[in-house]
Parts: sequence; C-alpha cells; structure tokens
Amino acid sequence: MPKAVPATTLPSPKENHLLAALSDEAYRRLLPSLEGVALPLGMVLYESGGTQGYVYFPTDSIVSLLYVLADGASAEIAVTGSEGLVGIALFMGGETTPSRAVVQSAGHAYRLRASVCKAQFDANPELQHLLLRFTQALITQMTQTAVCNRHHSIDQQLCRWLLLSLDRLKGDHLSMTQELIANMLGVRREGVTEAASRLQAAGLIEYRRGDIHVTDRKRLEARVCECYAVVKREYDRLLPAPRAAHIAAVG
Amino acid sequence: MAAILNSLLAALPRKSYRRLVSGLAPVTLTFGDILYHPGDTIRDVFFPVESLVSLLTPVDGHLALEVGMVGREGMVGVPLALGIGVSSVRALVQGAGPALKMSADRFRTELHAIPALQAELNRYVHTLMAQISQTAACNRFHVVEARLARWLLMTRDRVRSGEFRMTHEFLSHMLGVRRVGVTEAATALQRRHLIEYSRGNIRILDHAGLEAASCDCYTVVRDMHDGAVYSRIPAPHSPISRPSSIPAPHS
Repeated sequence: MPKAVPATTLPSPKENHLLAALSDEAYRRLLPSLEGVALPLGMVLYESGGTQGYVYFPTDSIVSLLYVLADGASAEIAVTGSEGLVGIALFMGGETTPSRAVVQSAGHAYRLRASVCKAQFDANPELQHLLLRFTQALITQMTQTAVCNRHHSIDQQLCRWLLLSLDRLKGDHLSMTQELIANMLGVRREGVTEAASRLQAAGLIEYRRGDIHVTDRKRLEARVCECYAVVKREYDRLLPAPRAAHIAAVG
Repeated sequence: MAAILNSLLAALPRKSYRRLVSGLAPVTLTFGDILYHPGDTIRDVFFPVESLVSLLTPVDGHLALEVGMVGREGMVGVPLALGIGVSSVRALVQGAGPALKMSADRFRTELHAIPALQAELNRYVHTLMAQISQTAACNRFHVVEARLARWLLMTRDRVRSGEFRMTHEFLSHMLGVRRVGVTEAATALQRRHLIEYSRGNIRILDHAGLEAASCDCYTVVRDMHDGAVYSRIPAPHSPISRPSSIPAPHS
C-alpha cells in the first residue's frame, strides 16, 4: 500500500487539475477526506480483476493502465498524471477493474476512499460532470492507443509515449528502465533498445542508466505519429486547464 | 408490456423505462451507414435491438481500426452520457436491423431526470471500456485467425444470427490487417469447416468449433456483462516480471 506522507513534503492537492477545477465549496467538502500518499516507481495501485479501495488523484506522479490478457500478456492502454484520476471503475459502477494500474513515474497523489468517492459522486453534480468528462477523455486515449499499437512503428510509439509522459511531468527528465517501457508498449525489450538508440543517435534523447533526458522536444514532436496530437487535442478540449493557466484565465 | 429488446433499457426500473418510451423511435439501421464521424455533433443516440454498430478510429494512411462493437447490450452515442456532445469515433452500421433512436435533446433531459439511466449508462460505459481495452490487447497479441473467429462470434451474438453479410475489405478494417491477411484467415476457417464464405456472405457452420478456434478474448468479452469475467483472469506476479517473454505483435 502507498505510504501516507507528512503534509509539509506534499504538493498541494490543487496540483491535480481535476481537484483544482472544483468550486471552493466542492473542494472544501472533499479536502478532509483526501489523503496524500507517495507513489514509488513500479508500485501496483490495483490489479486487474481486483477491487479498489481508493481512487487516486496524481499530482506529480504518472500512473500507467495496463490491460492484462488471460494468457498474461499485457499492454498499456492509457497513462494518467495530474490531469486526471486513476480508478474510474469505482464511480462508474464496475465491480472490479479490468486493468492493472502501475506507477510509471514516481511522485505523489491524493487518494479518496471508495465509499467517500461513491457518496460524493452521487451527491455532487459538479464533481460528477467533471469525472465523466475525464472518462470520455480517457476513452479517447484508449482508442487512440489501440490504433497506435496496431499500426505505428515502435519508434513512433516510443515518441508518443515519451511526449505523453513529458506533458505530465515538470522538466525534461524521465526515470525509466527499458524493461518498463517494453512492458508498457507491449513489445520486446530489444525493440525498445533499438528504438531508443535511434532516437539517441538522432540527438533527440539521451539515455543513461534509467534516466531519459529529452534534449530536443521539437524534433520528437516532428517524429511522432498523429496519435499524440489527437490525444492532446482531446484532453485540452475536454479537461480543465492546469492550475496556473486556470488562474490566469480567470484573473 | 412487450419484452424490451435492448438489455440496457431492459435493466432500467420499469417506471423509468415507461418515461423514456415516448422519446424512443423505432428505426431500421442500414448496412454501411455511418451514424457519426469523429468530430460530428451527436444528434441522436441509438439503442440497437438486433443491429450491430462498429466503433472505428481512423488513422492517417491506414485502414480505420475497430475499437469496439455495440449491439443490444448497449447504446451508440456514449459521449453524450458523459456530458460531451461530439463523437470521438466513427460509428458504422455493420449489422442491419432494428434499433431505437432518441434525439440528443430528449436524451439530455431524461438523463437529468432519471438518475437510474445515468447509473445504468455508467455501468455500460465501463463495460465498453473493458471491451475496448480487451480488443486493443487482442489486436496486439493474437493471430488473425483467432481474432477473426472472435469477431465472427461477437457479431453473431449481437445480430442473433449465424449468417451475415461481410466483405473482406470490411473485415480488414475490423481486424486492422491487410485484405490478404483476412483472406488467408477466412480460408483457413473455411477449410476446417467452421464457416462458409462466399460472395460477401458468411455463415457459421460449427459454433463450438469456432469458439475453440477463437482466442480467450471472446469469452472474456461475452462474460463482461455478468461481472464474473475478471475473476478468471489470473493475477500476475508483479508488474514488471515478464518483459522478455512478451511476444512481438502479430500482423
């Protein structure tokens, strides 16, 4: 289970865009139930087929949703960071979750107990609308990922994956092993190694001992398939802007 | 009261259903009709009765890929249930037959007035997302022949007939493979006397045999409706335990 951490070392809950988009009243109602937790790399928040005790609102972490087939093969179907939440089965009424949620980039999140989440979802139309909008954005990401996995090269998929991850982090470094990336993309590790080497040789990334530094984001964007832009456009359209932009827009 | 032939509607409390009836118009969906393109405003939602609608995501330079399938278990126009008025996929009629149609305006009104409708739709959306994920992973890992068998069985269940029209070109969209791949797979199933295929007409000859030829994904998706499915997926050992053994995607 994720460890609770002292409030002083935690980012504000409003680093999560969904929480930040709530009205003061709705936010204040949730606040006492929000528990800040640290999410280390590789932690499993829930298994496919399991029941969830909590929903998670990432602040500076990224969580990957993997679909696991009966024969054990798995592939990433979506990533979620500070723009969203992990564990929609809870309020959508699914008894168990079909995917496995794994922390893909270490950081923090605020979690909300299942019973509280359900009660708030039913009682608070504002929260309900926000979470349902997020669900539609997530569906778009899932369908686009499905197409990308089917039709695009590992190089393009890696570019998409790097850009989606970078958008959810501050800075241009990712802590990530090739083994984890292979698992996310559902390809052999050698395939990832080769694709990463090509991006490195082209001067787009530097890869060293589990650290990926994106050195030329512009060219990464030029190389990626359309899937990245499709997902980004839908997320921008459907979801609240990040907090800073939100405040700027309001003020 | 006559039997309600769409199971999503049938699951509603009788009182809620009665309220909806006057807004539901019987229509016949025609093979090949496109109900929405991505980006289209959703003007009507559809509850298939004995028709089948395929959800496709188009991608530049490739065939559009089927990401989900909606029959009498569901509704076409899911974004509207999530508060979004625009379709993110192409909805293509792939099995002609009756459906019930409701205008978007009326649907929004009813959604607001009947909490049970929203709850039932949320449960359905969650199942559809599981289907989308399963299809994505299946497309990634399983051979064309097994996927074709799955697809034929899923279609049969929704149109409630073992015989339907289907061209190779259509099937190549559905499965995300080239026509020649579809031809090979269909020929293989025909040689095993599981199906008969001539001039765009497919007839299932051996249902049990076809189930045996399909990957597990067919039964997993079929059982999603009773909620029992997820308990059958074996719990994996750890999130990062099987990178090198993951097979490359088939094509």
